[in-house]
Amino acid sequence: MWRPGGVERSTGIYVALVVVSLALVTFDLRGSDAGVGETLRDGAQAAFTPVQEVVNTVTSPVVDFFEAISDVVGLRDENRVLRERVAELESQLQDTGALEVRVEELERILDVSPPDELDTITAQVLAVGVSEFDFIRVIDKGTSDGVGADMPVVDEGGLIGRVVSATGGSARVRLITDPTFRIAVRVERTGETGVLTGRGSGRMVLEMFNTDASLVEGDLLVTADGRFPAGISVARVAEPARAEVGFSLRTSAIPTAAVTRVDFVKVLVFTTDEAGVEDLVESEDQPVDVPIEQGEQSEGEPDVAPGEPVTTTVP
Amino acid sequence: MRLRRAGIALALLIVAVALQTTLFARLRPFDAAPALVVLTMIGVARRLPAEDAVVVGFLTGVLQDLLVESPLGLWALTMSTVAFVVARFRSRVEDDPTLLVPVVFVVTFGALALFALLGTIFGEKTLADGGVLRKMILPAAYNIVLGLAVLPGVTALMGGSQRSGLRGFDL
Repeated sequence: MWRPGGVERSTGIYVALVVVSLALVTFDLRGSDAGVGETLRDGAQAAFTPVQEVVNTVTSPVVDFFEAISDVVGLRDENRVLRERVAELESQLQDTGALEVRVEELERILDVSPPDELDTITAQVLAVGVSEFDFIRVIDKGTSDGVGADMPVVDEGGLIGRVVSATGGSARVRLITDPTFRIAVRVERTGETGVLTGRGSGRMVLEMFNTDASLVEGDLLVTADGRFPAGISVARVAEPARAEVGFSLRTSAIPTAAVTRVDFVKVLVFTTDEAGVEDLVESEDQPVDVPIEQGEQSEGEPDVAPGEPVTTTVP
Repeated sequence: MRLRRAGIALALLIVAVALQTTLFARLRPFDAAPALVVLTMIGVARRLPAEDAVVVGFLTGVLQDLLVESPLGLWALTMSTVAFVVARFRSRVEDDPTLLVPVVFVVTFGALALFALLGTIFGEKTLADGGVLRKMILPAAYNIVLGLAVLPGVTALMGGSQRSGLRGFDL
């Protein structure tokens, strides 16, 4: 039988905390990017990073064990003929399998050649967000290693995201699949431009401005956004495009990088300021104006009045 | 005694947050992870006085908010609500332990749904996520399995229920 013991006082506290929470939300949303909220986040991340490092170290063998088991199961499915042999090697694989995969990943990431011969910083993913709805990765390199806000992050497949904040020993990266993340891209095959929007674990949405643009499955989309070096692979078109009421051509795309399974990454030492200078120089040769749609908040976009046209000059 | 319990609860939840952001970064069957912090909160809220549980939930939520980029206060509100709901209805579960599985599933699903809804209201476009339902159902299902180990562990560390005599799996 239900007994309402202690409910009244707790209800009062709960209501008060709901009000405080809503006040915090309002306070944080109205604050500037470098406001108190961001300072608190940086402080909390700096304080929590050592805890995460310790827990990571302690739990790594457990995860390696499960990953090795997973690898073995996969091999069994694919190689029925080799089952007996796999069973013999199972114990060894459990010890070394996961390690080998990680070494291979590290080797691949070291082979990634950055665009425009930018300096790069190799980092490992230390932690993720606290739920499936947080598109954040914490990497183990921070300002003391040269990582700064707004720097692009890539892996061997292409663009992963960009650094949103950095502390001395760690940095937070917002993934390109974040629903608030929008990026101007160019179809490598045709040179047509559009905007790619994250949809969480779903496919990204690509909107082309030219409704007559040719888009076929597999078309590679590369960065064409002043916030990133031009030409980094971002996604591939997943299905033929369809025009929506004649205003834009819309289709879906799949990131070229393994965004959710990323382990090692490279941070490109490239900032928006740097982009601005390069754009200015290169725009004298052949400028292309990429309009950014209004009505939705674009990640990292400058503040403009609603309805006011925005253009980003890209090479 | 009361402060000690609250301290243990906070420590457990901090460990849960650390595990959630590290261990479950790589252990992700079907590309989803359990909501360990919500599960631990369910266990903790069951063992604390209701008002303490709500405050501990709020503080845990604030910590989570500080570790992500969503607006400060969203997780605080969500975790306070989880603590409040569990504290409010725990007596019913004590009387009927078979309610455990649906309670863990519903509270986890509800917490993630509330966070998604709040996130969308405050501009995070959380509900625009292509796999939003999967991201609520899978962690809730995983929590049922994980609860078999976590909830008795929390009970042992927190010192058991004020009511004795419960048989079987104790929330």
